[in-house]
Amino acid sequence: MDDQARAESFYAHVGSGGKVEADDWMPDDYRAAVLKFVEMHANSELMGVLPEREWILRAPTLRRKLALTSKVQDEVGHAQLLYRVAEDLGKPREQMLADLMAGRTKFHNVFHYPTASWADVGIIAWLVDAAAIVSQQALRDSSYAPYARTMKKICWEESVHIMHGRDVVLTMMNGTASQRALVQDALDRWWGPLMQMHGPPTDPATDKDLRWRIKAKGNEQLRQEFLSIYVPRIRELGLRIPDAELRQDDDGRWHYTEPDWGELRSVVTGHGPKSQERLAFRRTNHAATQWVRDALLQQASAAA
Amino acid sequence: MIHGGSVRAPDEELALHYAREFYGRRQESHRLWIVPREAIVELDDPDLLKPPFDRSFKKPGGYIIKHKLEAAKARAGEGT
Repeated sequence: MDDQARAESFYAHVGSGGKVEADDWMPDDYRAAVLKFVEMHANSELMGVLPEREWILRAPTLRRKLALTSKVQDEVGHAQLLYRVAEDLGKPREQMLADLMAGRTKFHNVFHYPTASWADVGIIAWLVDAAAIVSQQALRDSSYAPYARTMKKICWEESVHIMHGRDVVLTMMNGTASQRALVQDALDRWWGPLMQMHGPPTDPATDKDLRWRIKAKGNEQLRQEFLSIYVPRIRELGLRIPDAELRQDDDGRWHYTEPDWGELRSVVTGHGPKSQERLAFRRTNHAATQWVRDALLQQASAAA
Repeated sequence: MIHGGSVRAPDEELALHYAREFYGRRQESHRLWIVPREAIVELDDPDLLKPPFDRSFKKPGGYIIKHKLEAAKARAGEGT
């Protein structure tokens, strides 16, 4: 069977729900698409700890400090798991980290924004992680089986992060008027990035990730699921969602103000308020820990 | 010594007598410590008394929100 016929048969297989393992034959296009997708996910987990890490020393109680530290630890673990999946597709980890730090590859929009108060930490852990889990639940059905399998552990840990975030928000909503105001302010600032997070609606005809079922569900479907579950949970606390157009019609479909796709594009290409500062932190940290890698590699080659 | 209860009295002498009436009338007490309320220093910080050595903050069981959620919904219902 020549490569062309083999590729067609492969695409028919993945398009109809078939699975692919790391050592299966795959067309170069598919391999490249999965690698790009998983690499961006890994980058996002690694960069995603930075907004929250800023609050570890400023958490209001010991319990919250431990919970936040634990969450950061979980996210870095997710990054390592996902870099490993991506490495198996042929790109070395060192190259992925170099590309991230040089701004050649992307990470999700939400991690390019600043945090203003402890309320932001609650809103992020609750709603950003919730939007992520909606995608990640869907990815459990990805055509690339090694990636789908990592989602089981990732989704389990994310679900505890969401509970932690919701608990932080609830504690503040049951607190003082100024604490409630901080939560409302955080929601006002984070709603836009949240609505952009799943990306603009795409057409399978042009969206290879969707056609080849690397992504099992489309962006709009994910956004609709997120709204259906979380809008009622936000409103029942007395919070106001900062979109006057947001409503659900009789068919259950949500209507909303069109998210600013220009902002999304600009932010993910490194022009977000905190993009450069956070990438600079990664570069500094990488340079400062080079002695650890050198020492371990020297020991390893001396022992060999 | 265990906490027996409280009394309301205008002065120390009456407080002693009331305490004896409520907590010592049937020889149930061997000794009573009677302390004015203002002298009590309270410690109720969960970080100090119940630090989470069980790592419950990493588990779903560490986040039972039922009462907090009910309280928040009730407050939201009342407000305008």
